[in-house]
Amino acid sequence: MESLLKEDVKLKPFRFTIERGKIKEFAMAIGDRNPIYYDADIARKEGYRDIPIPPTFPTAIEMWGGLDFETLISLFGLDPLKVLHGGQEYRYMGELCAGDTITAAPQLISAFEKRNLRFITIGIHYKNSEGIKVLYSESTIIERRGTE
Amino acid sequence: MSELTVIHKPEITHTQLVKYAGASGDFNPIHTVVPIGEKAGLDGVIAHGMLIMGMAGEALADWFPRKNLKKFKVRFSKMTRPGEKLTIEGKVTGERMEKDEKRLTGEVSVKNEAGEVKLSGQFEVKI
Repeated sequence: MESLLKEDVKLKPFRFTIERGKIKEFAMAIGDRNPIYYDADIARKEGYRDIPIPPTFPTAIEMWGGLDFETLISLFGLDPLKVLHGGQEYRYMGELCAGDTITAAPQLISAFEKRNLRFITIGIHYKNSEGIKVLYSESTIIERRGTE
Repeated sequence: MSELTVIHKPEITHTQLVKYAGASGDFNPIHTVVPIGEKAGLDGVIAHGMLIMGMAGEALADWFPRKNLKKFKVRFSKMTRPGEKLTIEGKVTGERMEKDEKRLTGEVSVKNEAGEVKLSGQFEVKI
Protein backbone atom coordinates (compact mmCIF):
# COMPACT_ATOMS: atom_id res chain seq x y z
CA MET A 1 0.00 0.00 0.00
CA GLU A 2 1.54 3.26 -1.11
CA SER A 3 0.65 6.56 0.47
CA LEU A 4 2.07 9.84 -0.75
CA LEU A 5 3.66 12.36 1.54
CA LYS A 6 0.88 14.79 2.14
CA GLU A 7 2.70 18.10 2.54
CA ASP A 8 -0.61 19.81 2.01
CA VAL A 9 -2.20 18.09 4.99
CA LYS A 10 -4.32 20.60 6.85
CA LEU A 11 -4.02 20.37 10.60
CA LYS A 12 -6.91 22.00 12.39
CA PRO A 13 -6.37 24.52 15.18
CA PHE A 14 -8.04 23.63 18.44
CA ARG A 15 -8.81 24.99 21.86
CA PHE A 16 -8.37 23.28 25.21
CA THR A 17 -9.23 24.14 28.80
CA ILE A 18 -6.79 22.78 31.35
CA GLU A 19 -8.48 21.14 34.34
CA ARG A 20 -7.12 20.17 37.75
CA GLY A 21 -8.56 16.66 37.57
CA LYS A 22 -6.87 15.95 34.24
CA ILE A 23 -3.51 17.14 35.59
CA LYS A 24 -3.88 14.92 38.65
CA GLU A 25 -4.82 11.89 36.52
CA PHE A 26 -1.84 12.54 34.24
CA ALA A 27 0.64 12.91 37.11
CA MET A 28 -0.71 9.75 38.75
CA ALA A 29 -0.29 7.74 35.54
CA ILE A 30 3.37 8.75 35.39
CA GLY A 31 3.77 8.06 39.10
CA ASP A 32 4.87 11.67 39.63
CA ARG A 33 4.15 12.52 43.26
CA ASN A 34 5.13 16.19 43.13
CA PRO A 35 2.51 17.87 45.37
CA ILE A 36 2.21 20.93 43.11
CA TYR A 37 0.18 18.74 40.71
CA TYR A 38 -2.30 17.65 43.38
CA ASP A 39 -2.83 20.52 45.79
CA ALA A 40 -3.63 24.05 44.64
CA ASP A 41 -2.65 25.55 48.00
CA ILE A 42 0.80 24.00 47.80
CA ALA A 43 1.10 25.13 44.16
CA ARG A 44 0.21 28.71 45.15
CA LYS A 45 2.72 28.63 48.00
CA GLU A 46 5.34 27.63 45.46
CA GLY A 47 4.45 30.67 43.37
CA TYR A 48 2.02 29.28 40.78
CA ARG A 49 -1.38 30.82 39.98
CA ASP A 50 -3.01 27.41 40.29
CA ILE A 51 -1.95 23.80 39.73
CA PRO A 52 0.68 23.94 36.96
CA ILE A 53 0.90 21.42 34.12
CA PRO A 54 3.62 18.75 34.24
CA PRO A 55 6.29 19.26 31.55
CA THR A 56 4.87 16.62 29.20
CA PHE A 57 1.18 17.42 29.79
CA PRO A 58 0.88 19.10 26.35
CA THR A 59 0.68 15.57 24.91
CA ALA A 60 -2.65 15.17 26.73
CA ILE A 61 -3.75 18.55 25.36
CA GLU A 62 -2.92 17.37 21.85
CA MET A 63 -4.44 13.91 22.10
CA TRP A 64 -7.62 15.05 23.86
CA GLY A 65 -7.78 18.32 21.93
CA GLY A 66 -8.06 16.82 18.47
CA LEU A 67 -4.67 15.57 17.28
CA ASP A 68 -5.11 12.05 18.54
CA PHE A 69 -3.52 8.87 17.23
CA GLU A 70 -6.45 7.87 15.00
CA THR A 71 -6.57 11.35 13.44
CA LEU A 72 -2.84 11.34 12.64
CA ILE A 73 -3.09 7.83 11.17
CA SER A 74 -5.89 8.82 8.82
CA LEU A 75 -4.46 12.26 7.93
CA PHE A 76 -1.12 10.86 6.85
CA GLY A 77 -2.24 7.42 5.70
CA LEU A 78 -0.03 5.61 8.20
CA ASP A 79 -0.03 1.95 9.15
CA PRO A 80 -1.00 2.10 12.84
CA LEU A 81 1.05 -1.00 13.65
CA LYS A 82 4.22 0.58 12.29
CA VAL A 83 4.18 3.98 13.96
CA LEU A 84 6.64 4.94 16.69
CA HIS A 85 7.43 8.18 18.48
CA GLY A 86 10.91 9.31 17.47
CA GLY A 87 11.39 12.52 19.38
CA GLN A 88 9.69 15.33 21.22
CA GLU A 89 10.60 18.89 22.11
CA TYR A 90 8.94 21.52 24.30
CA ARG A 91 9.80 25.18 24.71
CA TYR A 92 8.05 26.80 27.64
CA MET A 93 7.51 30.54 27.30
CA GLY A 94 4.78 31.11 29.85
CA GLU A 95 3.15 29.44 32.82
CA LEU A 96 0.19 27.15 32.12
CA CYS A 97 -2.11 26.24 34.97
CA ALA A 98 -5.47 24.63 35.65
CA GLY A 99 -8.24 26.99 34.57
CA ASP A 100 -6.36 28.30 31.53
CA THR A 101 -7.89 27.99 28.08
CA ILE A 102 -5.34 27.84 25.31
CA THR A 103 -5.46 27.71 21.54
CA ALA A 104 -3.21 25.43 19.54
CA ALA A 105 -2.09 26.04 15.97
CA PRO A 106 -0.54 22.85 14.58
CA GLN A 107 1.51 22.82 11.39
CA LEU A 108 3.40 20.21 9.42
CA ILE A 109 7.12 21.00 9.74
CA SER A 110 8.47 18.21 7.55
CA ALA A 111 7.67 14.84 6.04
CA PHE A 112 10.26 12.70 4.31
CA GLU A 113 11.41 9.15 3.78
CA LYS A 114 14.83 7.75 4.52
CA ARG A 115 15.90 4.09 4.35
CA ASN A 116 12.41 2.61 4.69
CA LEU A 117 11.52 4.99 7.48
CA ARG A 118 9.06 7.82 7.09
CA PHE A 119 9.56 10.83 9.36
CA ILE A 120 6.73 13.26 10.07
CA THR A 121 7.33 16.31 12.24
CA ILE A 122 4.49 18.43 13.57
CA GLY A 123 4.97 21.71 15.42
CA ILE A 124 2.30 23.34 17.56
CA HIS A 125 2.28 26.93 18.77
CA TYR A 126 0.11 27.53 21.82
CA LYS A 127 -1.30 30.87 22.90
CA ASN A 128 -3.14 31.76 26.07
CA SER A 129 -6.48 33.55 26.18
CA GLU A 130 -4.68 36.90 25.89
CA GLY A 131 -3.06 35.79 22.66
CA ILE A 132 0.42 35.51 24.19
CA LYS A 133 2.67 32.63 23.10
CA VAL A 134 3.09 30.29 26.03
CA LEU A 135 4.36 27.04 24.59
CA TYR A 136 5.82 25.37 21.52
CA SER A 137 5.66 21.63 21.03
CA GLU A 138 7.36 19.66 18.27
CA SER A 139 6.83 15.97 17.74
CA THR A 140 8.43 13.55 15.29
CA ILE A 141 6.72 10.29 14.49
CA ILE A 142 8.33 7.49 12.53
CA GLU A 143 6.60 4.92 10.36
CA ARG A 144 8.59 1.76 9.76
CA ARG A 145 8.04 0.94 6.11
CA GLY A 146 9.72 -2.44 5.87
CA THR A 147 8.14 -5.04 3.63
CA GLU A 148 8.17 -7.90 6.14
CA MET B 1 29.42 19.56 35.16
CA SER B 2 27.40 18.39 38.09
CA GLU B 3 25.49 15.16 38.40
CA LEU B 4 21.91 15.35 39.61
CA THR B 5 20.28 12.90 42.03
CA VAL B 6 19.32 9.66 40.29
CA ILE B 7 15.56 8.98 40.39
CA HIS B 8 14.42 5.35 40.62
CA LYS B 9 10.98 4.45 39.29
CA PRO B 10 8.98 1.36 40.24
CA GLU B 11 8.54 -1.46 37.72
CA ILE B 12 6.35 -0.54 34.75
CA THR B 13 3.13 -2.57 34.66
CA HIS B 14 0.43 -3.23 32.07
CA THR B 15 -1.98 -1.39 34.35
CA GLN B 16 0.23 1.68 34.28
CA LEU B 17 0.16 1.67 30.47
CA VAL B 18 -3.65 1.49 30.53
CA LYS B 19 -3.73 4.37 33.03
CA TYR B 20 -1.34 6.42 30.93
CA ALA B 21 -3.38 5.72 27.78
CA GLY B 22 -6.47 7.12 29.48
CA ALA B 23 -4.67 10.06 31.06
CA SER B 24 -2.80 11.11 27.92
CA GLY B 25 -5.47 10.17 25.38
CA ASP B 26 -2.99 8.08 23.38
CA PHE B 27 -5.01 4.95 22.63
CA ASN B 28 -2.61 3.40 20.14
CA PRO B 29 -3.35 -0.29 20.90
CA ILE B 30 0.32 -1.33 20.63
CA HIS B 31 0.60 0.07 24.17
CA THR B 32 -2.32 -1.77 25.73
CA VAL B 33 -3.50 -4.75 23.66
CA VAL B 34 -1.03 -7.65 23.75
CA PRO B 35 -2.25 -9.47 20.57
CA ILE B 36 -1.91 -6.20 18.62
CA GLY B 37 1.59 -5.65 20.00
CA GLU B 38 2.43 -9.16 18.81
CA LYS B 39 0.88 -8.56 15.40
CA ALA B 40 3.01 -5.42 15.14
CA GLY B 41 6.07 -7.60 15.65
CA LEU B 42 6.84 -6.06 19.03
CA ASP B 43 6.64 -9.27 21.04
CA GLY B 44 3.89 -7.79 23.26
CA VAL B 45 3.02 -4.25 24.27
CA ILE B 46 5.48 -1.40 24.59
CA ALA B 47 5.26 1.64 26.84
CA HIS B 48 4.30 5.02 25.40
CA GLY B 49 7.43 7.02 24.66
CA MET B 50 5.68 9.97 26.28
CA LEU B 51 5.32 8.03 29.54
CA ILE B 52 9.09 7.65 29.62
CA MET B 53 9.53 11.35 28.79
CA GLY B 54 6.99 12.06 31.54
CA MET B 55 9.28 10.30 34.00
CA ALA B 56 12.20 12.40 32.81
CA GLY B 57 9.95 15.46 33.26
CA GLU B 58 9.18 14.32 36.79
CA ALA B 59 12.92 14.25 37.49
CA LEU B 60 13.40 17.73 36.00
CA ALA B 61 10.71 19.23 38.25
CA ASP B 62 12.34 17.41 41.16
CA TRP B 63 15.80 18.80 40.38
CA PHE B 64 14.64 22.35 39.57
CA PRO B 65 11.51 24.42 40.24
CA ARG B 66 8.93 23.41 37.62
CA LYS B 67 8.41 27.00 36.51
CA ASN B 68 12.11 27.45 35.65
CA LEU B 69 12.04 24.78 32.95
CA LYS B 70 12.38 26.48 29.56
CA LYS B 71 13.30 23.76 27.14
CA PHE B 72 13.02 19.97 27.14
CA LYS B 73 13.93 17.91 24.12
CA VAL B 74 14.33 14.15 23.83
CA ARG B 75 14.95 11.32 21.40
CA PHE B 76 13.50 7.90 22.02
CA SER B 77 16.09 5.20 21.37
CA LYS B 78 14.77 1.88 22.70
CA MET B 79 11.36 0.47 23.47
CA THR B 80 10.26 -0.15 27.05
CA ARG B 81 8.14 -3.09 28.15
CA PRO B 82 6.11 -3.93 31.24
CA GLY B 83 8.40 -5.45 33.86
CA GLU B 84 11.24 -3.01 33.29
CA LYS B 85 12.50 -0.76 36.07
CA LEU B 86 13.78 2.61 34.95
CA THR B 87 16.07 5.19 36.44
CA ILE B 88 16.46 8.81 35.42
CA GLU B 89 19.87 10.41 35.40
CA GLY B 90 20.82 13.96 34.68
CA LYS B 91 23.65 16.42 34.75
CA VAL B 92 24.19 20.12 34.32
CA THR B 93 26.53 20.72 31.42
CA GLY B 94 26.88 24.49 31.21
CA GLU B 95 25.28 27.90 31.05
CA ARG B 96 23.96 30.06 28.27
CA MET B 97 22.17 33.34 27.79
CA GLU B 98 18.80 33.53 26.04
CA LYS B 99 18.34 37.26 25.50
CA ASP B 100 18.61 38.62 29.06
CA GLU B 101 17.90 35.31 30.72
CA LYS B 102 20.68 33.18 32.19
CA ARG B 103 20.05 29.48 31.83
CA LEU B 104 21.65 26.22 32.89
CA THR B 105 21.90 23.61 30.18
CA GLY B 106 21.80 19.93 30.95
CA GLU B 107 21.33 16.39 29.79
CA VAL B 108 18.85 13.79 30.94
CA SER B 109 18.62 10.09 30.20
CA VAL B 110 16.36 7.21 31.15
CA LYS B 111 17.83 3.71 31.44
CA ASN B 112 16.69 0.25 32.49
CA GLU B 113 18.47 -1.97 35.00
CA ALA B 114 20.77 -3.34 32.30
CA GLY B 115 21.84 0.19 31.41
CA GLU B 116 19.98 0.26 28.10
CA VAL B 117 19.21 3.88 27.21
CA LYS B 118 15.51 4.42 26.48
CA LEU B 119 15.58 8.16 26.06
CA SER B 120 18.24 10.82 25.94
CA GLY B 121 17.61 14.51 25.94
CA GLN B 122 18.59 18.03 26.75
CA PHE B 123 17.03 20.67 28.93
CA GLU B 124 17.42 24.32 29.84
CA VAL B 125 16.35 25.92 33.09
CA LYS B 126 16.28 29.56 34.08
CA ILE B 127 18.62 30.38 36.94
